[in-house]
This record gives sequence, structure tokens and C-alpha cells, in this order.
Amino acid sequence: MGNGGEKMGMISVRGVTHSFGATGALAGIDLEIVEGERVALIGASGCGKTTLLRVMGLQLQASSGGVRVLERNPAEMSSRDLRAIRSRIGMLPQDLGLVENLRVVQNVLLGRSGRRSLLGTMRDLLWPRRKDREEVFEILERMGVAKKMYERSDSLSGGQRQRVALARLFFQEAEILLADEPLSAVDPARGRDVLECLTGMAEEKGSTLVVSLHQVELAREFFPRLVGLKNGRVVFDGQPDERELAALYEL
Amino acid sequence: MWTGRRWLLVALVVAMAWSVGQLGTSFFSLTPGADPWASAKRFFGAAFSPALSDQNANLPEDATPLLVRLGGDLLRTLRYALIATAIAIPAGLVLGYLASEQWWPRERLRWLLRWVRWPVRVFLSFLRSIHELIWAIFFLSAMGDAPMAACLALALPFTGALAKVFSELMDEQRQSAKGVITAGGGSGAQGFVAAILPAALPDMITYAMYRFECALRSSAVLGFIGIETIGLSIMRSFESAFYGEVWTAVYLLIGTILLIEGFGAMVRKRLNQGKVGRKAVKGVLSEERLRRVAPRDWTLRFSGLAWVALVVLAFQWGGPLTLPVAEERQEERLSRFWSKITPAPVAPETALADWEERKEAWGRGKSEVMPWVEGLWESPGREALLNTVAMAVAAVILAGLGALVFVPWSLRTLGSRKPLGLFGGGGRFWPVCGMVVRGGFVVTRAVPEYLYAFLLVGLMGPSAWPLVVALALHNFGILGRLWSEVGENQDVGSSRVVMAMGGSRLQAFYGAMTPPSLNRFLLFFFYRWESCLREATVLGMLGVSSLGYYISIRKSFREYDEIVFFSLLGAVVIIAGDLASDALRRRLRE
Repeated sequence: MGNGGEKMGMISVRGVTHSFGATGALAGIDLEIVEGERVALIGASGCGKTTLLRVMGLQLQASSGGVRVLERNPAEMSSRDLRAIRSRIGMLPQDLGLVENLRVVQNVLLGRSGRRSLLGTMRDLLWPRRKDREEVFEILERMGVAKKMYERSDSLSGGQRQRVALARLFFQEAEILLADEPLSAVDPARGRDVLECLTGMAEEKGSTLVVSLHQVELAREFFPRLVGLKNGRVVFDGQPDERELAALYEL
Repeated sequence: MWTGRRWLLVALVVAMAWSVGQLGTSFFSLTPGADPWASAKRFFGAAFSPALSDQNANLPEDATPLLVRLGGDLLRTLRYALIATAIAIPAGLVLGYLASEQWWPRERLRWLLRWVRWPVRVFLSFLRSIHELIWAIFFLSAMGDAPMAACLALALPFTGALAKVFSELMDEQRQSAKGVITAGGGSGAQGFVAAILPAALPDMITYAMYRFECALRSSAVLGFIGIETIGLSIMRSFESAFYGEVWTAVYLLIGTILLIEGFGAMVRKRLNQGKVGRKAVKGVLSEERLRRVAPRDWTLRFSGLAWVALVVLAFQWGGPLTLPVAEERQEERLSRFWSKITPAPVAPETALADWEERKEAWGRGKSEVMPWVEGLWESPGREALLNTVAMAVAAVILAGLGALVFVPWSLRTLGSRKPLGLFGGGGRFWPVCGMVVRGGFVVTRAVPEYLYAFLLVGLMGPSAWPLVVALALHNFGILGRLWSEVGENQDVGSSRVVMAMGGSRLQAFYGAMTPPSLNRFLLFFFYRWESCLREATVLGMLGVSSLGYYISIRKSFREYDEIVFFSLLGAVVIIAGDLASDALRRRLRE
């Protein structure tokens, strides 16, 4: 834990720039996120939300600027250390990243790849351990898709697939949860369920949660801290009042 | 875009005209007095009365009966194909992985890996670009008449083909699932094993099964150069004019290939759809109970096991695969082989030469090597090469034309009584017609090109056109099937509009289905051109002045050094054709 009762800094991004192509570039981002915080990144498509999430998830090395995640500097880490840190960061990509022709249970087990050896992963695919199977079953039951545990992932509906991806994230037991547009694949009525599930997951494990979103209303309801992005810069940070809210809608 | 299509049409017409100019217009080349129609009538007449017992009345009493003999030939054909694919699949997996981008680690080392990947790819094209019949000539010369020589000859080019497709399939898969694994701290290897491999596996299995079918065809064709497969029986019976026996063997071969194809289609369907759970859990939901009712495809599992069992059986059953030769004799044989394939000007004086003698011979004759190569290129290399290319071009254009005419009749979407969902599509004519045409595609592609060519040359005499027709027939079946699939997967919206406005089925196909599918049609067209080129090099072995002809002539004179020259010349053309076809296809995909 942090010194002197202060909360540990989970993610620290200072003066980060990154550029490729025309969109999604970062033009000097400063952001500090501490333990247990729940943050929503708001902005139009192409404003750099996905790029920022990928930088925070240590998937993308920023062109310049300093990044510290879980109080470690990725630039100084060996690839072994980097993998160990990554296993503590959960990522939910926009397209969910499920292996379509594997069963649900196998997809969920892949959440712990970072803590498995290559042989362990092969075992998960061929003969998963009873303990793991039971754990997966419990998680799927909470997500309401337990019945689908042994079905192929490509036979599920969009909402069910979202739950399977969430179950994989839950199974990983990460300290930082990053979700990229988790509502883009579900119908609007289900959006609330997904956010409830994510925030509940974060609360239960005390994890830090960063989500990128389009929907300002929902973001305000579930997240105490909103970060507005425009053209690769932070234009707002905090809990918006009415006037600021109008500006956020503009984004 | 219209200008593009017009150019394409002009290019195809010019290419066809050039081929006809190159190959000449004498379709028959028979000895005077021979009547091709009479022998054709006799041959095709026999198709309706395949022989069930030997047609040769002079066989001794205790000779093996025809059907038993052919059955044994068929089993041997299957055995070589099985062993060859069993070698080619693991080898193709390893090489395919090395040729893919999957194992490329972080950016910093990429330049280094490019230097590993390209040599692997070049090596794979080289394996593919030499036809199995030519590999067989070399292996038989190096190893003697051992079954393993035939298996290795099949396995080498098939390894090249499998590895190429495997690597492409691995690279085509969505990277996002692998991304989740590496983002969560998994290694690249874990990402590959858990995300890329399972996603690519169904297509890889499907392709491996198609390759097994091809191996069976090629294994049969090896009979034409004297390996004891069913091709040898076909050749002997045909040369003795026992046409009934020929048809029996051909039917057996086609039947087996159709069985394998049908089996492959079943496996492909099951792999792609997956099994949906039907049984529900009784009582309280629990992991244990769910697992017990989990959908499991026993047919697939059994098929996999059966295949492994068949491979083991193929290795174990039916006589030794290699010749029982003492080690020093084997060394001697290899030394002789090495001398045989050394270019004549630098070949040692005795076949059993040691290293010093070889070096001396090289020093003596090295100035003669280039003139030797140039001489072979001037005559007959260049002409043979042009003839080979012309045969491939003419064949693929004929096959494409045929397929383009027949494909609309084969589509299930058009050929139903409710074409594209519109009522009033007439009686049974179209559905029946569709079945007949689809069946025609299946049968024409089941017969290997070389077999068609052998039979047609027997009837029409050794000219280029029977070979072109042979190539065209086989590829017509393949293009027909591939194009039908494209047509059936095409969105029916625009073609339905054409029919709803009173257009005919053919108008709907050529007016509304073909234009959006044209790129994909061409993709397959160039892919088949590439394989026509490869096949055309060896079809010349039947007595027409292409590369294969000179290879077979040199084989009778045991001039293996010149065979190497012609094979490499063929390989260069095929690799060039490969690259050209790849470039064209990449442009079409964009």
C-alpha cells in the first residue's frame, strides 16, 4: 500500500504523446489515477481514448512522456517483469477478443494466461483442472450465462458474448480493469447491466476501473470521475456541474 | 472499372491467341491410316461395360483375378498417399509456423526475423515448384525402387503447399484474442497456442484433407512412371487395349476420391458449425452436470482417431518401405546418383568418385559449364518453356470459359423452383439441371489431369491439345465448384431485383451476380493458372515438346544432369508464375 495512509498511485501518465496516422493520436496527456478509483474517459471517436487505454494497459509504448503503472516504470522493465505486471491489468477490448471456436469455459480460463506457463495454457485448453472449472462455473453463474459454459463461443448472442468476456476479466482477478467501449456491442437497455457488473466487480476486489464511454449520462451515474478528451488532450477532469456537463455533451 | 474489365477481356483474348499460335492447330497427330473416331468409340463404349474379370485370355490359370489385383493396387495407392500426408502435415506445420509472422517478437528484432522468414518462404516455393513426378524420378534414382521413394516424392511438394497455406491461415486470424492474452501477461507462444491455433485449426484441417485427396490422385499418377499404384494398371491395360479393365480401375479410383471428398465435406461442416447442445441439465445446475451434457462431436473425434490408426497401419502393413541394402551399398548408390546429376562437363570420369576426383573434374571442366547451360537453353529449353506456358494459359482460359457457362446452372439459389425466393420458377428442369451440373463438377475434378492426358493422347496422338484439354477438364471442375461457392455466398439483393423486373435467371447471374463477384472469380482463376503451369511441365512426359517431354527423354538416356536443368528451368517458371499470380491476387483483394 502507499506511504503514510495515502492511496497507492495505480496509473500515472505525464506528458504522454503518441502519434500514428491521422486519428487516435495523443498530444500531451497528464493523468493520475489512484487505487480503487473509478474513471470514465469521455470523447468522440478518434479522440485518443483507445490509444490512451492501450498506453495505460502497457500494450503500446508512447512516443514520449512518462508512464508509471502499479508504481513501476515499464521502460525499465525486462520482458519477464513486464509480463508479470501485465497479468495484474485486465483488458476488455471493444471487439471482446474471444476465440470464436473455443468453448465458453476455455475462453474464460484464458483470463489467467499471464499466471500460467505454456504447458498450463495447453492444459487449460485440453483438460482443465476441476478447481478452475468450478470457479469458472461460479463466475458464469453470477453473470447469468452458466448454462452456456460448454457451448462454443460463436453460438452465443451479442449480450451473452459480452458476459463471457466480462467473466474472463473477472477470472483474471486483476488490480486494474480497463474496458474499451464496453457498451458498443450491447443494446442500450442492457448498457446499465454491463456497467453495474463492471463497477460491482471493481468494488468487490477493490480494483481500479477505467472505462471509455460515449454516454455521458451513464458515465455520470456510475463514475465519480469523468475525463473528457478532445484531439488527444484532456479538456476536463472531475465531477461535472451543469455548465461543464453541457460542454461534455459537445464532445 | 469498366475499362478495367475491357482490358482484362482483351488481355485474355491476346493470351489465348498467342497460345494457339505457339501450340499450332493440329489437334490430332496420328499415324496415317489410324482412325481416331473408331478407337474413341471403342474406348468410350467400354465405359458402359467395365470389366469384372481379366480381359487377357492368355493369362495363366493361377494369376491373381482382376478385381483382387486392382483392389491391391488401390490399397497401395492409398498407403503411399497416407504416408506422404502423414509426413507432410507435421513438416508443413513447423515450416508454416516459421514462414508466418506469428512468432515475431518485439519490434527491435524484426529485421533479423525477416531474414529467417524469407529463406523459409523461398525454400517452400522451391519444394512446391518441382512436381511430384519429377521428385519421384530423382528419389527412385537415389534410393532404388523403394516405396519410400514414392512417399517422399509426394511428401516434399505437399509439405511446401501445406506450409504456405498454413502460414497464410495463421496470419489471417483476428489478432484481438491473442492481444487479450498478451495484454494479460501471457507470452506470444501462449497467445499463439490458445488464440491463433484454435481459430485457424478448422481451415487447416479442411485444407489438409483436401491435400490428402490430391495426394491420392498424385499417388495414382506415380503409376505412370512405373510405381506400383493403380495408375500402372491403368497404363498397362490401356496399352493392351483392354478398355474394360481401364474403366474398372478408373471407376474404383474416382469412387475412392469421391468418398474422401464427401467425408471431407462432412468434417468441414461439423468443424465450422460446431455442435449445439440439445440435452438440458436435470435438477440443480452444477458444473459437473453441465459437463456431462456438454455437446461432444463423437463423429469428429472418431474420425481423427481413425485417421491416426490408418496412418499407423499404412506404415506397418504391406511390406517394407525401404530396400534392405547394406550401408556401404547405399553410400555407393548415393555417390553414383551424385555423379549422375553433376553437369556433364564437370562430371568425374567414374561414377564412384571420391571428393578429390570430383574437385579435379570441376577444375578441368568448369569453363565448359556455362556453354553447356546456354546450349541446353538455346535448344530445346526456350521452346519447351514457351510451349509449357502456352499450354497452361490455353488450359486455364478454356476451363474458365467452361465454368463461366456452367456455373449459373449449378447454383442452388438460382436452380430452385423458387429462384432467389421468387415464386413461379417452373418445373423440375432447373433443380435437376443443378444436380447434374454439380455432379459434373465433382466427377471432372476427381480425375487427375495426368490420367485425362494419358487417355486423350492415346486416342488423339501426341500433340499439345489433348494435354490442354486434359488440364482444362480437371480445372473446369475445380473452378466450377469454387465459383459456385462464391456465387451462392453472394448477396442476392441486386440479382433478385433483376428477376423481379422480369429478367431471366441467366440475366440475373451475368448481369447482377457476376460483376460484384468478378474479383473473387479472378482470384481463383489465377490460383488455378498457377497450378496449371505446374502440371503442364510434367504432362509433356506423354510425348509433347514441353519441359516434361525432354525430362522423360533424358530419363530414358539416364542423363540426369540435364533432367536437373529442365526441372530447375520449370521451377523458375513456376516460381515466377507464383509471384505473378500472388501479385495479381493481392491487387484484386484491395
